[in-house]
Amino acid sequence: MRRAVQSFLPAALTALILPIMMALTAPTTVSAQQGPLRIEITDGVIEPMPFAVPDFVPQSEAAAEYGTSLARVIASDLSGTGLFREIPASAHISTVSDFGAPVQFADWKTINAQALITGSVALSGDRLTVQFRIYDVFSGVEVGSGLQFVGTTEGWRRMAHKVADTVYSRITGEAPYFDSRVVFVSESGPKNDRRKRLAVMDYDGANIQYLTDSNALVLAPRFSPTGDRVLYTSYESGVPRIYVMDVGQVQRRVLETQEGSMSFAPRFSPNGRTVVFSQAQGGNTDIFSMDLATGARTRLTNAPSIETAPSYSPDGSQIVFESDRSGGQQLYIMPAGGGEARRISSGAGRYGTPVWSPRGDLIAFTKQNNGRFHIGVMRTDGTGERLLTASFLDEGPTWSPNGRVIMFTRESQGTEGRAQLYSVDISGRNLKPVPTPDGASDPAWSPLQQ
Amino acid sequence: MQTGTAISGIAHVGLVVWVIVGGFFRSEPEPVTVTEVSLISAEEYAALSAPRTGPEFTETPGNLDQPEELAPEEPAPQVTEETPPERQDPVAPETPEAAPEAPPVPEAPQPPEPELSQDLPEPTPPEPPANDTAVLTPETRPEPAPVDRQASTPAPPPPPDARPDPVTEAPVSPDGLDQEAPEARDAAAPEEATDQPPEPEAEPDPEPAPPATAAPTASRRPATRPDRPRPSAPAEAPVETAQPETPSEPEPETESPDRSQAVDDAVAAALGQAGASTPAPAGPPLTGGEREALRVGVSQCWSVGSLSSAALATTVVVGVAMTPDGRPVTNSIRLVSFSGGDQTAAQQAFDAARRAIIRCGQQGYPLPAEKYEQWRDIEMTFNPENMQYR
Repeated sequence: MRRAVQSFLPAALTALILPIMMALTAPTTVSAQQGPLRIEITDGVIEPMPFAVPDFVPQSEAAAEYGTSLARVIASDLSGTGLFREIPASAHISTVSDFGAPVQFADWKTINAQALITGSVALSGDRLTVQFRIYDVFSGVEVGSGLQFVGTTEGWRRMAHKVADTVYSRITGEAPYFDSRVVFVSESGPKNDRRKRLAVMDYDGANIQYLTDSNALVLAPRFSPTGDRVLYTSYESGVPRIYVMDVGQVQRRVLETQEGSMSFAPRFSPNGRTVVFSQAQGGNTDIFSMDLATGARTRLTNAPSIETAPSYSPDGSQIVFESDRSGGQQLYIMPAGGGEARRISSGAGRYGTPVWSPRGDLIAFTKQNNGRFHIGVMRTDGTGERLLTASFLDEGPTWSPNGRVIMFTRESQGTEGRAQLYSVDISGRNLKPVPTPDGASDPAWSPLQQ
Repeated sequence: MQTGTAISGIAHVGLVVWVIVGGFFRSEPEPVTVTEVSLISAEEYAALSAPRTGPEFTETPGNLDQPEELAPEEPAPQVTEETPPERQDPVAPETPEAAPEAPPVPEAPQPPEPELSQDLPEPTPPEPPANDTAVLTPETRPEPAPVDRQASTPAPPPPPDARPDPVTEAPVSPDGLDQEAPEARDAAAPEEATDQPPEPEAEPDPEPAPPATAAPTASRRPATRPDRPRPSAPAEAPVETAQPETPSEPEPETESPDRSQAVDDAVAAALGQAGASTPAPAGPPLTGGEREALRVGVSQCWSVGSLSSAALATTVVVGVAMTPDGRPVTNSIRLVSFSGGDQTAAQQAFDAARRAIIRCGQQGYPLPAEKYEQWRDIEMTFNPENMQYR
């Protein structure tokens, strides 16, 4: 018996200690391994990438001003993302006077420019020809191949946006979004006498055009998937009704829903053939869809609670909306043809105005909690909620065409409070106002222009 | 009671005796730690310690040449802003009364028509911070650092005291490659022949003293130590060429736009030629601190701020060959493998990793030169899991 114990104890100790010793000595064995040295890097830095964009080389004297303007818009686009930081021309060592000449990478390395954009612009009549190249300075290679855009002098800003889009896409890997527009409600006057009208502008606030006058209250404009039409709600007839406007020709027509009912919160389906909206009847609000070709209406919800703010998923198979059927205002997802809805929001506070990301992975929303308003995002199953902003009043998010940026309305407090458009990266960084001449609210981002 | 006490006492005594005598505390003899030592010849040792074959770099600096003509011009997108595609008027279900009149487009504060070359609206570019250039300054460090790290002149020959016995140096030249005076060897030769101890003569130092025994004179020193400086020979190339870089810039720039990269390539080529045929690295491994210093050195340049969310979910393994002075060979940086994303995301992640390796390696990473064999080839895994926004 004792002998058995004696033989068992060392064996047990050996069995216990040996694996531990092997585990402890394993790293040494690995470190002494033959072959390349292996290390793992898990912590980097988050900082904008420094870039330089010298004035585009003009091929004629008349094109000189375009060369400067193009470079400035490109720099503004890239810097505005918060992902890039322009190195000012005053710090440049090299000057680019010949688009085809070799790049002096050493000079750009010295000022720590990690990306370099060079270009040329030629003017022939009213036609602009823009050529450009992108360089990875520290690797000493060109990123992709050179490109050329041809357009009219009137569209020089679009050409600059397209150049910036190419740079942005090639360096970040994200889809572009600079060559897009935003429709919104322009506001003027004090809070108790605010005048509103529809307006459309470039995503950066340039080229504003007004689509309606300010005689009637207008709300919630939404672009069609092709960007040529806008849905909006107007009180022109005394009750809220939905209108469809052709943006190019500024012509509109009312969308007949149901006589005597209030219709609002419209939004196109991804294929542009269906409109989903809310309709209030007898004190109850439900969600309907309408086929634009046949005018056929379909009731999607039928509950005594308030269901509104519907938004399609990118594939058109589901709709996210807000409802107070559980007592508080929460977010739900249902099939596009109606049916059982499942609640996805679960945190404290009230959730509203959900919008499905063009990528399909996230849903942006407005959240009210503890007297503060937030713009946030969550996954489509309700997990991963992140609040991106917080203020006295933030509401009405809309996605950029690439699903990377959210624009929304922020209203300041007090009788002199003013509504203004803001944008924020989905990482929560780069919160900044969007310049508009007057107050602005209810933005809706267009798709990328064709 | 006494009986019980007696029984208890006897039992305890018996137990104690059994424990002592029975060998309960006796332990098995401790195993003797055995370290296996293999004997190798001088040639094998020299082969092990000689530099390994350098990586082959297929890419050439020619890739950096600037294209003379614009690369395949993609179909130029015609920017026709004012001509949107014809929309298909939806068929209204119930005779929609078209809007009575299109609302007049009132005052447009900023008409969109840009006036040709006259009043192009300024896009108001964001003003960079005033200290922008100041921030950049410390990162530039143009030239002086390499000079500090390495002497501008070739390294002096190894000090004589590194040799165990200068007296034996003269005879150790069986291959006849030494430039020493032949008379010195001749003087030593007779001493070798005799096995008699030499007379202790007080000789002047320059004259090699006769060996005390004949054994050292016949042994051949391993070639390891003389060969040691060989890997560092290519390292002198960038130092020497870096000095005339500024004055002689115009001529070579036409051939290779990036001089430092050309130097790297030359070093890489030299390393590839210098490497003999010894594949296995020798010497002690890097310590944890040395590995951490390298990791931190790369991390501080690994900027993921401009990466897409897909690229932020992609882990890439990047291979790089290093020069003996701790600088990465630009053309050797390659994507070994990736996981967590598609090819596009992997390319973005790789580009960011490559920029990090090159940027922070411009002046050389803090790696121990004596362990060059351990880090001449490195595989870095860039895992952005901690950098994702949550």
